[in-house]
Amino acid sequence: MTLFLLTVGFGIVTASVLSLLSVGLSLQFGVTNYVNFAYGSYLGVGMMVAYTLSGTFHLPFVLSVVLATLITGLVAVLISEFILDPFARRRKSLFYMLIVTFGLSLVLDNILQIIYGVGFVEFPIAQSSPVQIGPFSFTKVQLIIVAVAIVAMVGIHLLLSKTRLGKAMRAMSDNADLARASGIDTRSVTRWTWFISGCLAGLGGIVLALNIVSFQTASGDAMLFVIFAAVILGGIGQTYGAMLGALVIGLVTETSVVYISSAYKQDVAFVVLILMLLVRPQGILAARGKA
Amino acid sequence: MSIFLGYAATILVFFFTYNIFTLGLNIQFGYAGILNFTVITFMAMGAYFYAVFVMPRADTANQVYYILGLHWPWPLAMIAGVVASGAVGYLIGLIALKRLRSDYLAIVTLATGTLIYGLAGNQQHLFDGWAGLFNVNQPFQSVATNSPNEYSWILVLISGLLMLGVWWFANRLYSSPLGRSMRAIREDQEVVDAFGKNTFKIRMLAMVIGCVIVGLGGILTIQYIGALSPAGWTTGETFVVWAALLVGGRGNNLGSIVGSLLVAVVFNEATRYLPQVSSNPNLIPDLRNIIIGALVIGVLWFRPQGVLPERKPKFFEVPLTNTIATEDSDSRSIATGAGA
Repeated sequence: MTLFLLTVGFGIVTASVLSLLSVGLSLQFGVTNYVNFAYGSYLGVGMMVAYTLSGTFHLPFVLSVVLATLITGLVAVLISEFILDPFARRRKSLFYMLIVTFGLSLVLDNILQIIYGVGFVEFPIAQSSPVQIGPFSFTKVQLIIVAVAIVAMVGIHLLLSKTRLGKAMRAMSDNADLARASGIDTRSVTRWTWFISGCLAGLGGIVLALNIVSFQTASGDAMLFVIFAAVILGGIGQTYGAMLGALVIGLVTETSVVYISSAYKQDVAFVVLILMLLVRPQGILAARGKA
Repeated sequence: MSIFLGYAATILVFFFTYNIFTLGLNIQFGYAGILNFTVITFMAMGAYFYAVFVMPRADTANQVYYILGLHWPWPLAMIAGVVASGAVGYLIGLIALKRLRSDYLAIVTLATGTLIYGLAGNQQHLFDGWAGLFNVNQPFQSVATNSPNEYSWILVLISGLLMLGVWWFANRLYSSPLGRSMRAIREDQEVVDAFGKNTFKIRMLAMVIGCVIVGLGGILTIQYIGALSPAGWTTGETFVVWAALLVGGRGNNLGSIVGSLLVAVVFNEATRYLPQVSSNPNLIPDLRNIIIGALVIGVLWFRPQGVLPERKPKFFEVPLTNTIATEDSDSRSIATGAGA
């Protein structure tokens, strides 16, 4: 039982990491209506830029994280402006976008690999010892990860429910043509969506790297289908569904360690993904017309 | 002279096997519009299962582990290999070919590919883990040991004949009723549904046939090289096949051949002899992947139909057809493409 509760604690940390990542992917899918297969590479951009800023340029770690998050958002906007958005407007068919983002992941991954190589690196911060909170045991870094995720999720909630941008994003997600006809500047909304999605990918990549301690450029890609599992579980394009999916996947993958070898952690996420696709492919919170 | 001949043989085997991969993917994507983002997994399944059927029992004393080790004759093992890759394709199809958007199919193929890659690497007892299988029995092995130079040409012959067979089959399939149904599904699945066709079954057939063909290519690869490890089938390799298909022209078998000649042979061979950068040994392979990815994006932007576009079938024009109406339906079929 103690062991189980301990893994529930780890599950909460993983769910926090996943919530950032899956909300970023889901938000963008909702607005642009295609899956971004290069998302894993955006994680790599975030963690590697943060590594460069803090390790090579010796900036304070928190500042590096903030800068790396914004830079990843900027990269996402630039890629959307110059490659993805022109494609989406020129070629209406969905499969173009899927192949283009798939190709993009190959390009980005290999650019990162040329710059950083394939070796594992670590952030230049001291490893803290675990603190006991009730039945759980967290390191200081893990507590910060959970706090960051909670703040980000509340922020996303406020953005979607209270701001004009958030309402426009939800309108586009429901029906892009109707949103355009109602006078919403869909190109500007798309641009902002990519920025937020990129920022969440960058930040999520950094906290993922903090959680696994030593990481390489491909660590983000290794996470990609766990993110997909969380997103599909919650209902693709559904932001709150993505949060729910992240919580479920995070808890299930971590607590599975009690029963089976931790080498199969990711395979558990895969099993959940497959079961979900077979039983309820539209996800827990279904969006109409998106399955 | 013999060095040159050996090189020519290598290029030919390489060209033929890539043709087979691309023709297999063409049946899946070019005919039926199935986005298979893990082509190379089926190549590996064919190769691995051929190997474990043809090799003798694993030499556990030397820390080499793999399943089966039945030591079957090579033609039987080849059949086992293609059956295995077809079966894996069938299982993935069961999940992914339900009536879902093509994103889901792409996600499922990619996820399964990642999963199988991880399993093959981490599970040492399946296919010898990251070390991979080596010393795989080759066809007519006695010739290989006695005269290795002539031996390459036996494999050129085998792969060439199989490629011709696949080519013949793919063309027959293209113009058969089944192939026409596949292409109709690619254009608009709902219309085909409305005509009472079992679209799930037809798409599944395209999936399994494609996987069997790609698996066959994988068997030829491991027969030629004699070894395969997970490092030999990464996502980048999948993209080489995609690039070959899209550059050549999806839906057109001749295009698949031109594409694999241009991408897999000319481009890959041309970059093979670039000088290695000692400080960064991965630089050239990484650059090659970047160029392949950029090439695909560029082709889809500038010439999405490829070098040799699929020929649209010509029917007798009904004299009273309104030209505006035909143009309309044309542009719509392009717009829907395979994205249903």
